[in-house]
Amino acid sequence: MMGKIKRYIKVLRELVRIRFQNLMMFRLGFFGPFFVDGSLFAVQLVVFDAVYSNVDRIGSWGRGEMILFIGTFSFINAVNMVIYFFGVNDIPAKIKSGQMDLYLTKPISPLFYITLERINPGSVPLVLMSICIIVYGAKDLGIAISGGKLAGYLIWLVFMIVLYYEMEIIIRSVPFYLVSNAKLEQLEEAGIDLCMKLPGIAFYGIYKLIFYCILPYGIMATLPVQTLLGEMSLCKAVHGLAIFMIFTGITMFIWKKGVRHYNSASS
Amino acid sequence: MKMGMSKYREIARTYLKMQLAWRADVAFNMVFTVSKIIFAYLLWGMIFREREMVAGFTLYGMLSYYIVSSFLSQLDMSAGISEEISSRIRNGAFSNYMVLPVSIEGYFTAMETGVALFYLGFDFAAAAVWVFVFRIEFAVTHHFFIVMCAMIMALMGLFFMVQLNYFLGILTLKYKEISTFLMIKNNLMLLVTGGVVPLALFPEAFISVMKLLPFYYVTYLPAMLFTGGCEEEAVRGIVVLAFWCLVMQAVITVIWRRYRKKYDGVGI
Repeated sequence: MMGKIKRYIKVLRELVRIRFQNLMMFRLGFFGPFFVDGSLFAVQLVVFDAVYSNVDRIGSWGRGEMILFIGTFSFINAVNMVIYFFGVNDIPAKIKSGQMDLYLTKPISPLFYITLERINPGSVPLVLMSICIIVYGAKDLGIAISGGKLAGYLIWLVFMIVLYYEMEIIIRSVPFYLVSNAKLEQLEEAGIDLCMKLPGIAFYGIYKLIFYCILPYGIMATLPVQTLLGEMSLCKAVHGLAIFMIFTGITMFIWKKGVRHYNSASS
Repeated sequence: MKMGMSKYREIARTYLKMQLAWRADVAFNMVFTVSKIIFAYLLWGMIFREREMVAGFTLYGMLSYYIVSSFLSQLDMSAGISEEISSRIRNGAFSNYMVLPVSIEGYFTAMETGVALFYLGFDFAAAAVWVFVFRIEFAVTHHFFIVMCAMIMALMGLFFMVQLNYFLGILTLKYKEISTFLMIKNNLMLLVTGGVVPLALFPEAFISVMKLLPFYYVTYLPAMLFTGGCEEEAVRGIVVLAFWCLVMQAVITVIWRRYRKKYDGVGI
């Protein structure tokens, strides 16, 4: 077991080294993702600042809670951009072109290799920017954050970052079975776009069912923030954990079945 | 002149027919207009539970604004122009456009016209469906003159966006890689055209600056005019936007003359 972990760490180190070499060849694009996503979340902040200059609260959340929410979503997205987005995003192309063969014949997990082969250190400033937004939100709220709440927040963040990753894997594994997943990616984009603007507390009825259970982007930043605010209940925590475990199971099932279903080029 | 126009008419017709090949895209485009409406419905529904007016909007006035602004922004598909020009210049295939016996900008304008005409009916149907599904008491102006002004402004806004995206696309001749810039532009455009929230929510100073720029008149003001707001700005809006269209045309001419010689047709 320890030998296996050591081997994976060694592979990871090599992947990072190769990735840095590649990125240095195209230096102009290095910080591209940071500027693109940074501008997106900056727009979010400006928009909600404008909304809060006209109203005191949106539901039970004031300006500070919303800043915390935007910062948290930005953080989850930033970690996604740094670690796995660019690798995972290539899965459909690799399936269609038959390039997946190369990954399946390697003596390590193909998903591990694909996930980490295109890490993007250019998005690290986005992580830092997100932390600044979160700290600013917490200061604006003026609440005392205990160690317990902070630990809960961080644990939920880890769960939600993994859930975000799993959603990406599920959607990008569809070409194992069908010709294209383009429409699903559009659906994913629409879901993320909506849920990064709207905190989960805004959803009710059918919208809650969709964005809490089917496309669970609605809980991703909401649950960590609710933990930090002391609004977390046992029911919410059980629901969050259940969704996390269900989607972990679905991801593993779809990926494993997909790899078996894979017929090399023109799959 | 008549012969020249017929060429562009043919381009528009070709692109209009081409859309029929992508029927699933049409259906998905219609469905995805709903995400903006859901955003507005949930956000403003929650806010208006505790008040009746926000920045001069009632709940239904606000939702009507989102319906119209979503309709107008769905019609604008010009973002693809800059991406198309940029990728063609980078891979050396821009020559395909340069050898055509038409103005390249005219070609893209005709293309956008064909695509927009195709989607016009579908987007209108989608907007009507969302009004019905979300049971919105749709607010609309009853002044014929204002409706005409809003339509003229919306058309000019679409043309301005074609100009802007054509301009950004040909900047690839000089700057080689502009994709990051284009993505940032798309993010900012959502804000300055009132695509996320109406510009009326912003501070007065911000709105005053925006009124000097063309983006205020592309989606926001036509949507406001259609829903019965800002009627006193109708005529001035057309004048300002016409001025910006002329400025943008002059800039395009200068930039094209200066940079087209940099294109070598072999890609970057």
